[in-house]
Amino acid sequence: MRRSILLGVVGIALIVLATAPWFASASLIQFGISTLLLATLAQSWNIIGGYAGYASFGNSVFYGLGSYGTAIAMVQWHLPFGVGLALGAALAVIFAVMIGVPVLRLRGHYFAICTLALAEVMIAIVSNLDVAGGNTGLVLPLLRGDALFYELSLGLLVVTTLVVLWIAHSRFGFGLMAIRENEQAAAVMGVDTTLYKVLAFALSGVFAAIAGGIHAYWITFLDPVSAFDIGLNVKMIIMSVFGGPGSILGPVVGAFLLSGVSELLSTEISTLAALFFGVVIVVAVVFMPRGLADVGRRFRQLGWRYFAENVRTHRV
Amino acid sequence: MRSAIAALVAIFVCALIYAGLGYVTNASAAPVTLGASVQLSGPLANTGRYYRDGYQFAVDQINKSGGVKIGNNHEQLALKVLDNQSDNNLAVRQYVQLVSQDKVNLLLGSFASDTVIATSSVAEKYQVPMIQGGGASDQIFDRGYKYIFGTLPVASKYFESTIDAMEKLAPAPRTVALLYADDAFDVSVAKGTRELLGKAGLKIVLDERYSTNASDFASLLARLKSSQPDAVLVAGHETEILNFIRQAKSLNFTPHFYSFTVGVPSADFRKALGADADYAFGMTSWLPSASQKDDYFGNAEEFAQAYVKRFGYEPDYHAASAVADVEAYAKALEAAGTTDPRKVRDAIAHLDFNGLYGHIQFNSVGQISLPQTVIQVQNGKVMPIYGQKGFIDKPEYPMLAWSKR
Amino acid sequence: MSLLWQVLLNGVLLGGLYALMALGLALVWGVLNIVNLAHGAFIMLGAYVCYYAFTGLSIDPFAALPLAMLVLFAFGYLLQRYLLNLVIRAPMFNTLLITFGIDVILTYLAQIAFSADFRTINPSYAGDNFALWGATVPLVRLLAFAIALALTLAMWLFLSRTRLGRAIRATAQNLIAARLYGVEPRNTYALTFGLGAALAGVAGGLYGVVSQVNPYIGTSLTAKSFAIAVIGGLDSPLGVIVGGLFLGIVESLTSLYLGPTYADVASFGILVLVLIVRPTGILGRTA
Repeated sequence: MRRSILLGVVGIALIVLATAPWFASASLIQFGISTLLLATLAQSWNIIGGYAGYASFGNSVFYGLGSYGTAIAMVQWHLPFGVGLALGAALAVIFAVMIGVPVLRLRGHYFAICTLALAEVMIAIVSNLDVAGGNTGLVLPLLRGDALFYELSLGLLVVTTLVVLWIAHSRFGFGLMAIRENEQAAAVMGVDTTLYKVLAFALSGVFAAIAGGIHAYWITFLDPVSAFDIGLNVKMIIMSVFGGPGSILGPVVGAFLLSGVSELLSTEISTLAALFFGVVIVVAVVFMPRGLADVGRRFRQLGWRYFAENVRTHRV
Repeated sequence: MRSAIAALVAIFVCALIYAGLGYVTNASAAPVTLGASVQLSGPLANTGRYYRDGYQFAVDQINKSGGVKIGNNHEQLALKVLDNQSDNNLAVRQYVQLVSQDKVNLLLGSFASDTVIATSSVAEKYQVPMIQGGGASDQIFDRGYKYIFGTLPVASKYFESTIDAMEKLAPAPRTVALLYADDAFDVSVAKGTRELLGKAGLKIVLDERYSTNASDFASLLARLKSSQPDAVLVAGHETEILNFIRQAKSLNFTPHFYSFTVGVPSADFRKALGADADYAFGMTSWLPSASQKDDYFGNAEEFAQAYVKRFGYEPDYHAASAVADVEAYAKALEAAGTTDPRKVRDAIAHLDFNGLYGHIQFNSVGQISLPQTVIQVQNGKVMPIYGQKGFIDKPEYPMLAWSKR
Repeated sequence: MSLLWQVLLNGVLLGGLYALMALGLALVWGVLNIVNLAHGAFIMLGAYVCYYAFTGLSIDPFAALPLAMLVLFAFGYLLQRYLLNLVIRAPMFNTLLITFGIDVILTYLAQIAFSADFRTINPSYAGDNFALWGATVPLVRLLAFAIALALTLAMWLFLSRTRLGRAIRATAQNLIAARLYGVEPRNTYALTFGLGAALAGVAGGLYGVVSQVNPYIGTSLTAKSFAIAVIGGLDSPLGVIVGGLFLGIVESLTSLYLGPTYADVASFGILVLVLIVRPTGILGRTA
């Protein structure tokens, strides 16, 4: 019974979202595209950060690779959009495998710092590549009509969430969670940790890359600093963490909520918008480090004391 | 299960709230609204404010003199400026919002070529004209867009009057070093400058691109000292040029002549450098001279004085360019007799008038053609040195060594 | 030949400045295990303190450095004591996130408070230099280098020879045992973080004299400081000097031989390599 209610709600939600381009205003559609892409990114980070427990700042690298793969394919080699997207995704997978094997050996904050450094390196390298237009960037052809991008973004989010759903119930997923909880024990139990980690990294990368490709074509302009934007990576982490890392819908909820408020601020009280994310991060990390999903689960038992509990366990 | 349903409901509610707000804050009625997304915070905020203030000042002044005559009515102008936090992606989204949700009539531009390249696509997509005074890169005008117009002179010709002046100095510099940042505008400038230098018969002994926001020029300065050019031309951003000049002093590098694309016209740049700013050459497409008459402000000099009085800092060509954009819209609206964006666009393309900024007329790709006046900092003040009619004031040349100042 | 000598000299002096910037970060990271992404913002605040001391109160920037240290120490102490102490036992990733948030907030507030105007700290001797075997040595950079060495030595002595320093290290290594010895952790953590902030303040003041002051100088400096701290090794203050020098020289040479746009490729590329091959850095002991 519960199951069919859930499926029903999901179905209605999807139908409404999918038909939105026909009755919503243009600015709502663009908010939709932007949010759907962010939700996809948060969800992709969820795979490597939430399930495998490897806090990666490298998803912005995959995003950038996807953006540039698509842009170069379309602008320099005049290939169609779909091929561009595939190229971007392929670049991401290659990168994930080649870099993933050495980098995933690092633990904890070293991994995070290393992926952050990788993002900086990519910005610097791409700025010097002529095929990528150097630091002046690439200009993509203009496509009128956002409906295509909207539907693509929605489709991508659905696919990514389905993959996360599969991960949560599969052996692969259990392996990842085992790695997250205690990597050495997982290895002893027979989990091929390197393979699993690299696979998670690559999966995470593919979705981030496709999101990047869609975004590049939509915005029609690409330059290294905004393509490999580390701030974007932090945003996707915050959204995922705020919503609940390691859960299926947590990152999506986090993305929608935070994105909605941020967009609202940016357009109405635009001067405060920059402050908003900073404050959200601080408050979320102190009071709800395990995200909304955890709040949802334990609020009923503990009420407002839930927040105080979080502080108590983590303070010195 | 429950939490999943709760999650979906939450998403739904958010979307509905946002959609609802979309209909509620639905735009302004009568006045003709101009919309812009400007860098009011973030690294480019220092220059972005000239645009916000320039736009506001012009709108207020036009309204004070009776507004814009469209058909038989006098309409007031309104302005909506959003802060894009120096983020290009946000700027694009803000322009889409201005057009589709806030329903502004016409668009004004941001600062910086990168931002203009990205956001002009919005103008083109939605077929609403955008007049901008912040981007000069050739890339903006290379795409065959019909709805973008620019009041900054062409990037590739930025150093044209400087090189003309250089040829007439005695003794004329013969070797030149060209340094430029790696963003759209400066790369365009460098490309054009190379050709101009070639035509003038000047030899380029060092031609180097550096990273935007570079803070350390020591290696470049070492190479400059070793290749000993007579003149150095730098195309970059104020922050980099500030670092360059300070480090040139501390590394004791003095060419006979150096000129910069930005910085010199701006008061706070000169103030930050103090006496170190002396001898630096620069260029400006605008000077606050009384001979440039304006329908709304009297003349350029009066405008500059009124601007300082209102905003507390001196305007430079950024602010004047912003004012020109608004004035261009006023004239175009009067010529078109309607606020229909397509008709206004055509009216803009046929504009031909003089204002405090200069002669406003756009060519077939939407760009203005304005000569740059060569300026120099002498004893802390900006002096016009060379214009279309030759030398205006005497340049202090060659540059005095740091130790002798 | 003298071009190479000048470039090398530039690299060494730049390295000194870099090391100074990274010192506070390395202390807090190595001892407290806090990765402070707001470090650059502290540097920026230190620069502003010195700026206002110089232009408002006519205090010489070098004389104002202790003032910057004091102000930033107090700020860092309070921040750790009343905010960061709340999350310090959470997974390390959380402190990373929260310091990022603090960085965003501080940069924003700085812009509101100080505006985005260009400023420099420009005492009369800012451009002074002297010749050394055919190369020019900027005076202020040499002084910064000397200050970096002095502070590193001071910090090493402090951590290894003084009671407080040993208490700090003890708290970092084994909280329970340290408590048994009467060390009060909340205060100790706050003191350490305050020290890290104070060091950032000094770096900021000097950066303002060498370069410029605006609310956005922090971001790139945080990234650089990371590279230096990791490359040099977090275990000892000496590692920071080594890391700074190494990076300064590499960047200068890369700029000379490959071009100025490759400096960042070199520094971050080396950071990645070091992390992969020898995460404890050049001087770190292998764990």
